[in-house]
Amino acid sequence: MIRLTVNGTVHELEVPSYRTLLDCLRYDLGLTGSKEGCGVGVCGACTVLLDGKMISACIALAAFADGRSVTTVEGLARDERLHPVQQAFVDAGGFQCGICTPGQVVSAKALLDANPKPTDDEIREWMLGNLCRCTGYYKIIESIRAAAGRSRA
Amino acid sequence: MAHRIVGQPLGKLEGIGKVSGQARYSGDVTLPGLIWGKALRSPLPHARILRIDTSRARALPGVLTVLTAQDLPDILVGRRMFDMPMLARDRVRFVGEKVAVVAAVDPDIAEEALALIDVEYEDLPAVFDPVEAIRDGAPILHENPGAYDGAPSERPHPNVQSVLRFKLGDVEAGFGKADRIFEHTFRTQLDHQGYLEPHAGVVAIDDDGRVQVWASNKMPFRLKELLSHALQLAPEQIRVNLTPIGGDFGGKGSLMDLPLAYHLARVTGRPVKMLMRYAEELMAGNPRHPSVITMRTGVTKDGRILARRVKALFNSGAYAAFKPAPSVNLGGAGMGAGVYRIPNLLIEALCVYSNNIPCGHARSPGEPQMVFAGESHMDMIARELALDPADLRRKNLLRDGDHLANGHHLEHVRASDTLEAALKASHWAEPKAGPWIGRGMAMTHRHIGVGFTNARLHLDVGGTVILSIALPDTGTGAHLVLRQVVAEVLGLPLDQVEIEVANTDDFETDSGVGGSRVTHTGGRAAYHAAEKLKAQIDAEAAKYGIPAGSLAAIAQAAAKEGRTLEAAHFYDAKTHAAVTSFTAQVAEVAVDPATGEVTVRHFTTAHDVGTIINPIGHQGQIEGGLIQGLGFALMEEMKTEDGRISTLSLGDFKLPTIKDIPPLTTVILQDPVGPGPFNAKAIGEGSISAVAPAVANAVADACGVRILDLPITAEKVFFALREKVAR
Amino acid sequence: MNAFDYRAPRSLDEALAILGEYGEDARVVAGGTALLTMMRQRLVQPRCLVSLRDVPGLERIEANGGLRLGALVTHREAEISPLVRERLPVLAETFRRVASVRIRHMATVGGALAHGDPNQDPPVTLLALEATVEVRGPRGARGIPVAEFFRDYYETALEPGELVTAVTVPSLPAATGAAFLKFLPRTADDYATVAAAAIVTLEPDGARCREARIALGSVGLTPLRATSAERLLAGEALGEGLLQAAGEAAKTAVDPLSDHRGSAAYKREMTGVMVGRALGQAWEAARRAQARP
Repeated sequence: MIRLTVNGTVHELEVPSYRTLLDCLRYDLGLTGSKEGCGVGVCGACTVLLDGKMISACIALAAFADGRSVTTVEGLARDERLHPVQQAFVDAGGFQCGICTPGQVVSAKALLDANPKPTDDEIREWMLGNLCRCTGYYKIIESIRAAAGRSRA
Repeated sequence: MAHRIVGQPLGKLEGIGKVSGQARYSGDVTLPGLIWGKALRSPLPHARILRIDTSRARALPGVLTVLTAQDLPDILVGRRMFDMPMLARDRVRFVGEKVAVVAAVDPDIAEEALALIDVEYEDLPAVFDPVEAIRDGAPILHENPGAYDGAPSERPHPNVQSVLRFKLGDVEAGFGKADRIFEHTFRTQLDHQGYLEPHAGVVAIDDDGRVQVWASNKMPFRLKELLSHALQLAPEQIRVNLTPIGGDFGGKGSLMDLPLAYHLARVTGRPVKMLMRYAEELMAGNPRHPSVITMRTGVTKDGRILARRVKALFNSGAYAAFKPAPSVNLGGAGMGAGVYRIPNLLIEALCVYSNNIPCGHARSPGEPQMVFAGESHMDMIARELALDPADLRRKNLLRDGDHLANGHHLEHVRASDTLEAALKASHWAEPKAGPWIGRGMAMTHRHIGVGFTNARLHLDVGGTVILSIALPDTGTGAHLVLRQVVAEVLGLPLDQVEIEVANTDDFETDSGVGGSRVTHTGGRAAYHAAEKLKAQIDAEAAKYGIPAGSLAAIAQAAAKEGRTLEAAHFYDAKTHAAVTSFTAQVAEVAVDPATGEVTVRHFTTAHDVGTIINPIGHQGQIEGGLIQGLGFALMEEMKTEDGRISTLSLGDFKLPTIKDIPPLTTVILQDPVGPGPFNAKAIGEGSISAVAPAVANAVADACGVRILDLPITAEKVFFALREKVAR
Repeated sequence: MNAFDYRAPRSLDEALAILGEYGEDARVVAGGTALLTMMRQRLVQPRCLVSLRDVPGLERIEANGGLRLGALVTHREAEISPLVRERLPVLAETFRRVASVRIRHMATVGGALAHGDPNQDPPVTLLALEATVEVRGPRGARGIPVAEFFRDYYETALEPGELVTAVTVPSLPAATGAAFLKFLPRTADDYATVAAAAIVTLEPDGARCREARIALGSVGLTPLRATSAERLLAGEALGEGLLQAAGEAAKTAVDPLSDHRGSAAYKREMTGVMVGRALGQAWEAARRAQARP
């Protein structure tokens, strides 16, 4: 039995010990926004925030989140309005197929929370663990730059 | 000509669901009672199956059923040539071939059950190298390949799947007239498309007995046909529900695990989800064909090409089933001629069976392999002739009115302009910043894809125009492009045009996504449907005396008479347009002589394009394809030994990261001469093929070593440098 | 993954008791990045997983002359810690080079040691720094020098029932500079083809080397010291030629395994290059340290 807060809502769940946090979010809670890509913590498609810090949900046990707080991509928007990071990705074309995008925006939000005015080098360093096969990354960097600029207002 | 909406840099407006996490891909689909399927795979490259005992797996709590080939009809599957069983029947032909399939209540239990299936194998002699595979006495994979449905008839050896030839003039005569003849052999690696969504599918049999399918497949109508054949069901019994796809790049057009998901659903009476893990993709996806390509070119002493002969071996693996072209070969073999006028040409490409992972289509199938060979070869010839590589190109570029060996005729040829633009933007002629820095160039061209698409428009009572189309969203931005086209024709703001993604019940057919065709075929279908709708709107407006812009009023007036304004168009491109798109690229690299490490300091890409409908989407396709090309050039490699792939995760098979991308300059030359709507051309496969030779040529310029096989690793450069110094 | 008992003890004693109960069938998990990846690939199938997440006292970074990092300190915490950056910047830099920020949020100092993977970066620098691994087990607490901690490929000196509780790192003497180089020519998120940590201490005359320490990773079954190269430098006047010679000597000390990041022959060659470069950077840092009042 685990008790975890996901996007502000508390859930009590009975899950087998081997249940990963990703499978718990996707299948026990129906939050399919986080994706399984590589399954070994490299690609970042499963990135969620655990107590505000980015982790790979595919190699975390659901039990690791017991008593803690998880933020997924579904928790970024507020009252039907996209988070500035999400809006920036839309405006700048920071995604194509979208499968890596939940991980990208969650990681980008964590970056701007920790460092509101990152340099391009800081963006690259932070986002190194989020692979994308469609965009070639140029527009991901532009999106995050734009989101950082927008946050100024 | 300026347009209102076409040409506007609109963001990814159709992608709100993708940033919010609401978009549902096939792997996200869930149904009541859903169970999970997992496949057991062969650990051996070539073996007879003596015995399969599933009893221990069946007994595991949570397992609903276990199936082997004995439980399935003896039907072979494929995309064009049907040579692959759904489950191995009495023989496995590659490591990773599916041998049994399990259905269980959760994926972990399903995997646990796989470990409880006992299979007894007897090794058979195996062959892995394509040159070996077509020698006398090589182990034979398929006793009678000519008997397979869809098999081409020419078969110089039983391990040849297909032969594809391109011919112009008389090569031997051409060589006879040449002053110099050069021959070089190149090799390219096994390379996965690298989409981050592994194959996913859900199959359910509904209460009417119809088969409902959700799959990461970009050709839903072809999928329906193939399933109909594999499952021995009438096509009307099958409905493919479209979902967005997490990256295709050529690799998502086959049945993969869907027939097995169906049989599990049939036997258990429950909906079944099957997801490939990434390790399974790297073991048994359908990656890009590795190649061995020999180019032999005869030139005059001042560098004009008189003749070229190309022999290509594509190591196709254990089955031909993943290749969709009628030739069961790779059309990109035609790029052996490059962007040049070659009066005497013979290209011969063989797809060869071997006990390796079966290969399929990857972005620009066959072209990155051929263009690496051809553009490296051109630079090597330039060096031998003491010519600037750009000058050698200039002497030989295609021109207006030229014919290609594949029958295409070319007008509006801008090869020369594109080359000069790339050279200028990259400061080609200027001195480099230091030693061990080099520049290399390469060119390619990519035709605009052909196919057929159905589009339907209707006007809803709120005044919104709904475009209904059964083309899946693979991420290219096509849906937004189609909305822009319709909005432009109808003179509407973009948000008054919406897309409704249809399913296979809603239309007769569609050739689906791929081959750089959707802007053309989908765009033209939408364009002509919009023209028809506009005529109707204008007529209705006149009839009712309502201004033509008051769509809601017009729709409501028609609705009062029980009518809906709608228009449909089926566009079938049938033949290729007499235009192509040229790409010229320049890489500037630095080589660390102590380690061989290659750093791309700058990359320039110049494209001759048609009207650009959405600049952001268009540029995104250029950038994405280019970085895939960079991966192919420098770091991507599925390593295999004796049929066993050792790079089974993204920790071992490396894709470029955000820190690996070079500063990029893009040059666009626009010519409104394409067959697409508003004279658009295509861009999806334009930027990938010339990257590797541009880099290889830059490395040769930087440090004098010529790498003939991809990827260009630091280790290869290091040892080549050392060998050069020793000589 | 297989089914297993998941336990989250609230004290070190409780954790040790559970380990004693399950014996070899139990594995300790902290961040889980290495262990869970292996479990998902079915390479290990423990019957019990003992999570240290609720065990207090293992998450601190303390100064005590040198530094003491608790086993649950994450790579990211070690990387950005002002204490680590100020006192042992080469260690902060080493943690920074591991994978990505996301992995560094999860992976721990204790895990990096207990996993015993010769391709990981922190053990290389900890070896050069002559750190000591603090261990607790059924027979009490002991300290194992890093040099004795890595026994073989994925094999450490941990006895059954023991777990890593901290690593203590002595401070560096005056007139000392250190450098860590990770050579990864494929992609920026890769493991090293070769990793080299070099520490150079200068004699008061500023020209001769009092002591050099060179540690290498990804070139053998365990991280290792290039002692023959170190001996070449001790007491000698430093210069480019001597550094190159030390690099050459280091090549003979390694017996690399070919892997996806390089053949054995290439790794041997790169050992020479990276040792020379790391020594050069360490020497430069030592000169700066010596020049400071």
